[in-house]
Amino acid sequence: MNDVLEFWGESLPTLLDGLRLSLEVTAACLALGVPLGLALALGVQSKRRIVRAVALAIVEIGRGAPALILLQFAYFGLPSAGLALSSFTSATLALAWTTGAYTSEIIRAGLDAVSFGQKEAAAAIGLSRLDAMRFVVLPQGLRVSLPPLFSFAILMLQASSLCFAIALPELVSQAYVIGSNSFRYMSIFVLAGLLYAVICIPASLAVSLLERRLARHTV
Amino acid sequence: MTLEIVRSIASGIPWTLAVTLAAFAIGAALGAPLCAMRFSSFTLVRGLAGALTLFLRAIPPLVWLFLIFFGLGFGYLQINPFEAAAVGLGLIAAANMAEIYRGALASIHHGQWEAAFALNLSARHRFLDVIAPQLLRVALPSGASYAIGLLKDTAIASTIGVSEIAFQAYHTSQRTFHSLDVYAIAGLLYILISLPMAWATRWADVRLRARVAR
Amino acid sequence: MNADPLLEREGSRRKASETPLLRLEGVHKRYAEFEAVAGVDLQVKTGEVVAIIGPSGSGKSTLLRCINQLEPPTAGRVTVGDVSIDAEREPSRRELMQLRRSVGMVFQSFNLFPHLTVLRNISLAQERVMGRSRKQADEVSRQLLARVGLADKADQYPNRCSGGQQQRIAIARALALGPQLMLFDEPTSALDPELGLEVHAVIRELAANGMTMIVVTHEMHFAESVSERVIVMADGRIVEEGTSAQVMRDPTSERAKRFLRAVADR
Repeated sequence: MNDVLEFWGESLPTLLDGLRLSLEVTAACLALGVPLGLALALGVQSKRRIVRAVALAIVEIGRGAPALILLQFAYFGLPSAGLALSSFTSATLALAWTTGAYTSEIIRAGLDAVSFGQKEAAAAIGLSRLDAMRFVVLPQGLRVSLPPLFSFAILMLQASSLCFAIALPELVSQAYVIGSNSFRYMSIFVLAGLLYAVICIPASLAVSLLERRLARHTV
Repeated sequence: MTLEIVRSIASGIPWTLAVTLAAFAIGAALGAPLCAMRFSSFTLVRGLAGALTLFLRAIPPLVWLFLIFFGLGFGYLQINPFEAAAVGLGLIAAANMAEIYRGALASIHHGQWEAAFALNLSARHRFLDVIAPQLLRVALPSGASYAIGLLKDTAIASTIGVSEIAFQAYHTSQRTFHSLDVYAIAGLLYILISLPMAWATRWADVRLRARVAR
Repeated sequence: MNADPLLEREGSRRKASETPLLRLEGVHKRYAEFEAVAGVDLQVKTGEVVAIIGPSGSGKSTLLRCINQLEPPTAGRVTVGDVSIDAEREPSRRELMQLRRSVGMVFQSFNLFPHLTVLRNISLAQERVMGRSRKQADEVSRQLLARVGLADKADQYPNRCSGGQQQRIAIARALALGPQLMLFDEPTSALDPELGLEVHAVIRELAANGMTMIVVTHEMHFAESVSERVIVMADGRIVEEGTSAQVMRDPTSERAKRFLRAVADR
């Protein structure tokens, strides 16, 4: 037991470096992906067919293709078309695509949850469509979307583990390297798992709490 | 050239389907007792089930696969990539299906249980004839959604050597200079496979709706 | 410059003028198979108060929404003051905005914006649609709140107010743009009878000050007392029209008789 703890102690700094990178890539893909999701949520409801079609295509591919494939597409595929990106950039772009696709559905559901009466009232007092969206619908809709968006963010942190496959030195990669050098796979992956758990479990509980609090304040 | 690429990647389809099916079967089956444990009158049992679910869902699937394949596989058990993938994804599926069953049970109107009691049905009949059909009806859409998600998760199995679509795509791209096409085709393949699954779900949903009125 | 919209009409006598403020000509609203409004012709003079009653599904609410184009009619013409909109052509942004500024609407479920304070609810449209500064808008809003007796609620959120208060705030919000015509869609149906009284009081005061209004309501006593003219609608058409005394006491059409009898029995 002591032995394992010692091993963990030695490995921890390296794993923490990897964890930091995992968090960075997650933050980056969310920063790009969520605004993309909002744009797509509005895009799929656009009156112009071309906008609708393009938005729909982006969403369907982003949701239909496994994140791993999108990652490999960005990192291994693009160079053959002349665009060579670093593993961090590829990871960010690919995961932002996934994020945008899934969050567009979440945000759309949130916007739909805003009661029809609100939209009627906004129109009746003469607000333009844009103003109605900006001042009445979005503030309420995004609020509804908040808990599922946070849940999704937690999922994206887990998805960052896939970046192992595109040579990003995030948490799992670091663990794998230590494992293959020491052959103590079991211990190192248990530690890696615990590091994910230590972040994701409290985060999930916090989201449930948020959900309950928000439900209290709505009608 | 492209045809050869497609053929090469498509050879992974049987493995993709096999892992998906195996994991979903394990998940749907184990999810039931796990869900039952959540309703147990013993706090310890409830707590254990809760903790298990929490951990299974908080740790990335890739880490679970590595834990099972490299961790257990190295020195503890003889386990091949397919088994590791099926078990790993299956356990995670169990946790998720347990949650789906839990949600479905909660949504069944309180009055159904009361009526079943009042009609003096035995516990077994209560469950089989009254609750289970409604449970199925509510759990089906979520379960099917999850299955489609599971299909995509099987791509992870490529990292431990299961010869499914993503694995074939990777090796094909290493062999040729058409990496862009290779991964685009692989992505398209996943999307195409999920379509009949979505249609089948909708068909089943309609059939069930007709027989179990809301 | 900053006229209180309520005081725009001087004096407390109702002024009826010759040209009707509102004119509906052959208005139809069809949804696929179903015609909610099946040909309505209506004129309302400035300062008039008209009540519309009738069974559920008779098209009363839809008709109101046809007036301010929340539901654009599938046929016919709607004229409010200078703005005339034909069903055949798509109204321009300007026409639509002009229309919505002249027509205020109060909904059965109030539809206040829950994420904004009461004051902001009333000021928002003034700033965005009329271009008033925040200071100007807030001043007008406070005046309006005072008129409906809720000056102290300005900085609260709607969910802290009772139903009756929320509806009065909704009325203030509708008045903020200085409309010439006010539409009320079952303003007290969602309220307890007691809370409904305070809303009726505000509506009566508006009427006394000369506001042109159309009130769709289930409350027969209120309909008779607040309005000069009562219209009975059924199956998307007007089946009876006349002074409130005439229609309520002595209807001529069978359909109207049937409806009023059923209501009286309850």
